[in-house]
Amino acid sequence: MTNKTSEAIRRLAMAASLVVLYAFLYLPIGYVIYASFSVDTDWPFPPSFTLDGYFDLFESTLYFDALVNSLMVGLGSGTLSALLATAGVIGILRFRSRFRGISVLIFLAPLFVAELLIGISSLAFNAKVLGLSGNMLSAIAANTVEGTAFAFLIVFAQLVRYDWQMDDAAMVFGATPPQVFWEVTLPTIWPSILGAFLISFILGFNNLDISFYNLGAIPTLPSVAWGSLRHGLGPELFALASLTNGLVLVVFAVMYVLMTTGLVRFGYRGT
Amino acid sequence: MADIGSQREEICLSLQSVSKHYGQVKAVDCVNLDVTQREFFSLLGPSGSGKTTLLRIIAGLEQPGDGRVIAGAQDVTSLPPYRRRIGMVFQNFLLFPHKTVSENIIFPLRMQRASRTECDEGLKWALDLLRLGGLGDRYPNELSGGQQQRVSLARGLISRPTLLLLDEPLANLDRELRAEMEVEIRRYQRELNIPFVYVTHNQEEALTMSDRIAIMRNGVFEQVGAREEVYTKPETAFVASFIGESNHFDGKAIDTGATDMKIEWHGKTFIAPRQSDISPGDSVRFSVKCEDVDIVAGGRAKNAPEFNQVTGRLRDIIFKGQTANYIVETQDKSEIVASQGPRGVDVKIGDDVVAQWSTSAGMGFKI
Amino acid sequence: MSDVAITRRHAGRIRISPFLVLVAPGVVFIFLFLLLPLVVVIVFSFWRTESYNLYPDWNLGNYHALLTEASYRTFLLRSIVGALIASVICLVYAWPVAYFIARHGGRYRLLLVLVLAAPFFTGVILRVVALQGILGPGGLISITMAELGLPPIQGLMYTQNAATLGHVYLYLPFMVTAIYLSLANFEFALLETAKINGAGPFRAFFEVTWPLNWVGSAVGLVLVFIPCLASSITPQFLGGPNATSFGMRLAAQFNEAGTWALGSAMGVVLFLCSLVVIVLMSLTINPRKSGLTARGLD
Repeated sequence: MTNKTSEAIRRLAMAASLVVLYAFLYLPIGYVIYASFSVDTDWPFPPSFTLDGYFDLFESTLYFDALVNSLMVGLGSGTLSALLATAGVIGILRFRSRFRGISVLIFLAPLFVAELLIGISSLAFNAKVLGLSGNMLSAIAANTVEGTAFAFLIVFAQLVRYDWQMDDAAMVFGATPPQVFWEVTLPTIWPSILGAFLISFILGFNNLDISFYNLGAIPTLPSVAWGSLRHGLGPELFALASLTNGLVLVVFAVMYVLMTTGLVRFGYRGT
Repeated sequence: MADIGSQREEICLSLQSVSKHYGQVKAVDCVNLDVTQREFFSLLGPSGSGKTTLLRIIAGLEQPGDGRVIAGAQDVTSLPPYRRRIGMVFQNFLLFPHKTVSENIIFPLRMQRASRTECDEGLKWALDLLRLGGLGDRYPNELSGGQQQRVSLARGLISRPTLLLLDEPLANLDRELRAEMEVEIRRYQRELNIPFVYVTHNQEEALTMSDRIAIMRNGVFEQVGAREEVYTKPETAFVASFIGESNHFDGKAIDTGATDMKIEWHGKTFIAPRQSDISPGDSVRFSVKCEDVDIVAGGRAKNAPEFNQVTGRLRDIIFKGQTANYIVETQDKSEIVASQGPRGVDVKIGDDVVAQWSTSAGMGFKI
Repeated sequence: MSDVAITRRHAGRIRISPFLVLVAPGVVFIFLFLLLPLVVVIVFSFWRTESYNLYPDWNLGNYHALLTEASYRTFLLRSIVGALIASVICLVYAWPVAYFIARHGGRYRLLLVLVLAAPFFTGVILRVVALQGILGPGGLISITMAELGLPPIQGLMYTQNAATLGHVYLYLPFMVTAIYLSLANFEFALLETAKINGAGPFRAFFEVTWPLNWVGSAVGLVLVFIPCLASSITPQFLGGPNATSFGMRLAAQFNEAGTWALGSAMGVVLFLCSLVVIVLMSLTINPRKSGLTARGLD
C-alpha cells in the first residue's frame, strides 16, 4: 500500500507546512504579548508579572494623542471606504454598462500601487498643488484609496451571490428604489458592509506609509511606534503591539462570525 | 395581428405595438394584446420567445423601445413598477429570506402605506385563502416548495391588484404538486375576478387553466385565441407542432375541391379539409393530431372512403397510462404516431397495421 | 411587422443611469486621490529641486542621476533582487499551505485563512517589533544564546537575508490568500482523471494543478513583489548598513533631504517597475481560463 502511505506522507507534509507557518507568524506575536507583561522585557524568564509597560503607554500623552488620531484616520477611511465600495459593487453587479470592466479595474488598482508611492504622491499633490500642509482630511482620503479596494473585494464576494430579482419583486410590490435597498437589499448584505468597514478601519488605524506623509507632524500610533523603535525595543512598544494584535484578533473574530452566521441565516438564491 | 376581446367585458390591460430590442435581437416585436377583466390569459412559447420580456414590460421592470402599455384606461408605459398596482408571482418564488411568511405577505400593503388594521385584515384574508394558517411566523427556508409558492401567491394577491402576472410559477414544483396548483390557481382567479396573465412553456398548464392563449415565438404572437380553438385549429405550422402531439406530413397540394383538397405524400394521396389559402401546386405541411389517428390490425381494416389509410408495421408501443402511443413504420421508413386508449386494441409489436384518420381531420400549412 | 422602429422619447423623463450614480463616486475618488497624485509625481520628476524648493525647469537631470550614479543603481538592483527572492520564497512556501487548506480544510477553511490573514493587519511597524523581539539583538534568540553561553548567531539581524525574511514574514499571507482563492474554484476531480491516466502526484501537479491555478500564483507574485520593492521600514530595521533599499532612499528624499524632484523620479521608476511586472504577469495569463473569483470565502 505504498500509494496510500506516500499519499498520507504528502498530506502530513503539507499540514506540517501549515503548522510551521502559523508558528512562524504567531510565535513572535505570542512572545511579544508574553513579554509585555514581564518586568524584564529583554529576558522575561522566569515569568514575573507586571503591567508597567501598559501604564507607561496609558499615561503618555503622546501615545494618547496618537491613539485619537489613529482612531480618526481609521474611522474616517473605514466609513468612506465601505460606502464607496458598497455603492460601486451594487452599481457594477446590478446594472448593465459597458464601463463595468474598467470600473472594476479602477476599484482594484490601489492594490497594485505600493503604499509608499501612495504616501509620497499624496504628499506632493497636497503640498504643491493644493497648498495644504499635513492634515487629517488628506490622510483619511489617502487611506480611503487603499481601504476602498479591500472593501470592494469583501462586499463583492458576498454580493455575487445575491439574487437581484428580489429587488425586482420588491419594486413590483410597490417599493421605491430607496425602500428596496432598505427593506430587502441591506438586511441581506449588511454583514459584508460591516466586514468591509472593519477591515478598512484596521488598515487605516495601523497604517504607516500613507498616513505619515499626509499628516506631517500629527502623530499616529504607527508613527510614534516608529520613532520609538529607532531607539530600540521597550516595554511600551511591546504593550502597544499586544493591544493592537488583540484589537485585530477581535475584529477578525467578528468578521468570522459575520461570515459564517450572516451568510447562513439570510441565505441566498433561495436554496 | 390585432386581437379584440369580447365587447361585453371591460378591457383591463392593453398592449399597443409594444416592441423591445436588445441590439439586433428583437425580444418583443410589435405586439398587440387586450386582456379583459375576467380573463385567465396565458403566454405560451418556447424559451427565448420573448414571453418573459413581455411580462416584465407589463410589470414595468423593462421599458419597451416602442409602443404603449395601458392598464385600466391609464397609460402606464413610463410609470415605474412601484406605481403600477399589479401583483406578480415568480418562478423562483423570490420570497424575502430575512422576513417571516407574514412579513412577506403584507409587504405590498406596507409599501402602499396601509394602516395596521388594513394589514392585519389583509393578512388574515390571504392566509385563509391560501390555506397558510399557522405558518405566519415561519421563515421561507423552513417551508416546502408548494408552501413557498402559496406564500408567493398570497403576497401577489393581498393588495387586490388590478392584474396578477405569473412568470412560470409552477416550473420548480414536482408533477403532482403542479397538477394540484393548476386547479387552485384557476380557482383563485375565478373567485377574485382579477385578470391573470400567465407565462409558461408548458402547454398542459396553459390548456388547463386559461381562457385564452397566445402562442409566442421569436417575439411575435403566432396565434391568439380561446384554448379549444388554439388546440383544434392551429393557424401556423409552428402552433400545430407546439400544441399537442401531431404527425406532420410534408407534401404537395394536387387538387382542391369545394369542401376538401388532395395532398400527395410519398406516393400516397390524402384527403383533407379545404383551406382557402392553399392552391394546387403549393408545398404543404399537413398536420394531424395523434389522437385523431387510429390503429387497426392489418387484416381487419376496411377500405373506407371517409378515412385516409396508411399501411405499415407496428414498431413500438409507448404506454402512458391512460393512453398509449403506437408508432407505425411505413414502407419508406416514415413514422406515424397514433394515440389512443390501449384497451380494446389488440395488436402487438411487429404486426402489420393500418393507421387511419378521418378525411375531415387535420390542417395544412403552406411551407 | 414593423419595418423601421421609430424611437420615441417617453415624455419628460430623463433617465440618469443608476450605474453612473453608484459607481461614479468611488471611481472619481480613486481617480482624484490615486491617479492625479501619481501624475503630479511624474510631472515633478522632470523638475528640479534647489534649497528645498521645486522649480519647474523641465529636465532629465533626475533620471540621469538615477541611471549613472552607482549608488542608486545598486539600491534599485538590490531591491529588485530582494523582492524577487522574497516573492519566489513566498510562492514556494505558500503553495503547500494553500493547497492543504483548500483541499483538506473542510469547514475550517474560512477560519484557517482568516487566522493566516489577521497578522497582516497589525501594521508594518508592530510586525517588525515582533520580529525584532525574536530575532533582534535584544530578542529571544540572542538572549537565549547568551544565557546558554553560546556565541550569537550571525546574520540573524542586520543583514540582507534578515530583511528578506522580514518581507516573507510580512507578505506571505497575501500569497497564500491569492493561491487559495484560485484553488477554491479548482476542480480537484481533475486530478483523479490525471491519476487514472497514469500521472504520478508531482506530474499531476505540474501538468494540471499548477497551470490551472497560474492566475492565483501570478496575482500573488504581483501582490508580494510590489510592496517588497517599495519596502522602506523592514530594511531600515532588519537590514544592516549594507542593506539600504530603494524604498528607504526614496523616503529619504521626501523626509530629510527635501529633494522632491529626485524623489519623484525615484517614485516614477518604482511605479514603472511595478507596471512592468504587472504587464509581464498579465501577458502570461491565458484569458480563456476562468480567473480569480471570491467564491472560496465560504
